[in-house]
Amino acid sequence: MNKLVKLFITSISAITLALVSFTSSFAKVEGDYIVLGSAISLTGKYSSNGVHTQNGYNMAVDRINKMGGVEVQGKKYKFEIIYYDDESNPKRAAQLAERLIKQDGVHYMLGPYSSGLTKAIAPVTEKYKIPMVEANGASRSLFTKGYKYLFAVLSPANQYLEVAIDLAVEKNGGKGVKIAQAFEQDAFSQDVRLGILDAAKRTGSEIIIDDKLPKELNDMAATLAKVKATKPDVLVVSGHTKGALTAIRQISEMKVDVPMLAMTHCDAAKLSKQHGKKSEYALCASQWHKNLSYKDKFFGSGKKYAKDFQKEFGYDPPYQSAESSAALLVFKDAFERANSFDRDAVRDALVDTEMQTFYGNIKFGPGGQNVAKPMILFQVRCKGDDCENRVVAPTKWASDKFYHPIPKWSERS
Amino acid sequence: MGNIKQKDLILYSGLIILGLAAPYLFSAFKVQLTYLCVLIVLAMTWNLQGGEMGYNTFGNILFYGLGMYLTASVQVGMFFPLAEWTESGGEKTFVHTTAQYFQGIGVGLLVSAIIPAIVAGAIGYAILGLRGHYFAICTLGLGIAAGEIAGGIEIIGAGQGFTTPPFPAEIVDTEARGKFFYFLSFALLIGTFVFVKYIYGSRFKLILNAIRDNEDKAEAMGIQTMKYKITGWMCSAFFCGLAGGIMGGLIGYIDSTDVAFDGREMGVFMVLMAILGGKGTLWGPVIGATLFHFFKEGLWTLILGWQYVALGVLIVVIVIYFPEGLMGWLREKYPERFGEVIDEKDRKAQVELK
Repeated sequence: MNKLVKLFITSISAITLALVSFTSSFAKVEGDYIVLGSAISLTGKYSSNGVHTQNGYNMAVDRINKMGGVEVQGKKYKFEIIYYDDESNPKRAAQLAERLIKQDGVHYMLGPYSSGLTKAIAPVTEKYKIPMVEANGASRSLFTKGYKYLFAVLSPANQYLEVAIDLAVEKNGGKGVKIAQAFEQDAFSQDVRLGILDAAKRTGSEIIIDDKLPKELNDMAATLAKVKATKPDVLVVSGHTKGALTAIRQISEMKVDVPMLAMTHCDAAKLSKQHGKKSEYALCASQWHKNLSYKDKFFGSGKKYAKDFQKEFGYDPPYQSAESSAALLVFKDAFERANSFDRDAVRDALVDTEMQTFYGNIKFGPGGQNVAKPMILFQVRCKGDDCENRVVAPTKWASDKFYHPIPKWSERS
Repeated sequence: MGNIKQKDLILYSGLIILGLAAPYLFSAFKVQLTYLCVLIVLAMTWNLQGGEMGYNTFGNILFYGLGMYLTASVQVGMFFPLAEWTESGGEKTFVHTTAQYFQGIGVGLLVSAIIPAIVAGAIGYAILGLRGHYFAICTLGLGIAAGEIAGGIEIIGAGQGFTTPPFPAEIVDTEARGKFFYFLSFALLIGTFVFVKYIYGSRFKLILNAIRDNEDKAEAMGIQTMKYKITGWMCSAFFCGLAGGIMGGLIGYIDSTDVAFDGREMGVFMVLMAILGGKGTLWGPVIGATLFHFFKEGLWTLILGWQYVALGVLIVVIVIYFPEGLMGWLREKYPERFGEVIDEKDRKAQVELK
């Protein structure tokens, strides 16, 4: 038995040694390539958004590489990304971040999908002083921790639906409204909830239902039954893609009448395609919309980006993809301004970022969040059976007027 | 007899030296090695129930998660108001000094060992009367329920999760954190191994085996089975709690269902590892956990998106081809190495009979 154990241990050591020699051959900059690392959710509950994120990254890598790449000290470099699957699990994500940095020698990171996973990875990148540009971790608490190497191209989660409450109050003649809300138990959705709590306090609104939805949610009938009974002015739901799909499915099945329905992740869920007319009038928070008038030289306008993305991946880009593409534009810009591969030089260049991309203006606040870009709201509107997301706020980009209140189900065809 | 002891001594000192040298030899793999230690601990403690006592529990993840939350809560709560630390997803930042950090984690780990053990005693008293698959299903519920409950408790961060205190910034060495957690988990591994080995040489193990083989007969022989079942579970909970506490500090972020009460992964892994190595043996879980970890780290990234399919196939293969685990398979193939003597004549006679 002891012989066997010894044999076993010897073979394990041999494998480990082999692994060591294998993996350390990677480096931050290899030949003509700048290697970035990212743990992304390819499986698990965030898999659809993880893929949106990955597509966004890949699209930008291709485009930047095709258009000449990144010029540092007179030499052209191309981007390359090492991906791992974090299985939508924070524990795995933190471990993979460590692996990317220590074993694959990655010196620059791209963010994962979701606030929870970003929260798990940020301490790791911070410890090793690895600049991370992330595009999908919106939780406000990420930006109050004093992280020096974390940069987010998106607006914090608490801003997502605050505007919706303001709109409702405005429609109510400036008086406070009755709010019913249901949020998934995860870092992002709970942060959206904090934003609503703030807005309710500010506007003197009352929260009459405050429910928590489980992760992996596929049923919120209990909340909707309460909504039917108490008749709030606004129903707010947030729970990533599944939350949006579940809400629309059950609201239409149960014929819940509510004057205003505010949600997140409508475009990631392809709501207007999946549920068509049932999703009409839903008000959605978004980081980006293709009709906005921002421009850059790589992707052109938002509309052009949407068209190219559609051609490449076969669906309309949700904002998760757009912001992920923007993260690479930020990295390229920072590398060129730093004109060096020194991590601290790149980090300092990132701090000074001030640029316009097709996705919006980007300038980082002291906590690392993007302070130059407002959130937008769009509403699903249908012509016949053809449904589309139309921007309704802020007024600068609004293509349509905000439709309020939502007609009762009995009056909808 | 003395000869074997000497052999053991060489083996153990070799392993300890390897363990102590590992973070220096494979510096880049410290975190994976830490995971390995914790996985072995979980597999070994699961084996006490599933392997020795014959009670297939899915509930050990409860103690692991409990230990995780307890360590982090104590570490924060000793020096700062816990409610403010976790409020709004942990927006406020308090900074532990080096001394506070280590004092906190020390006391936290102590608590995370004792309380899960007490909880195991209480729950065990209530449910260890169940047998077979009733017990398995019941414990499966424990982990799920705990995850949902923890996700609703504001003071430990609820759905937004709990960011554990960052490693003291005064320690400049970026490797220090990795080493600290590795040696902590390695110490736990040694502690667990010594304890389990001690149990293997005791009457206690025989009683557990008696319960596994025929609980009614064991009772008829005057063994108070309930007492021993509860004690066994409390021992497991003690070490699972510690393992959880260490992992919480290492991961740095505790999520109720994905990190702490992670029955879908850790909860299943600990069972799988013990079965892969061979349940009911001392070395089985160690070997199973090691192989599993290597399989996972080595192959999973090569088959992006298909890992869980591969895992499913692995489970099927293990159950069909190695129902007794690797140790059981080896024992059948090379019985003489396990000190079993086969009577050749008798074996031949039996073959001829067939």
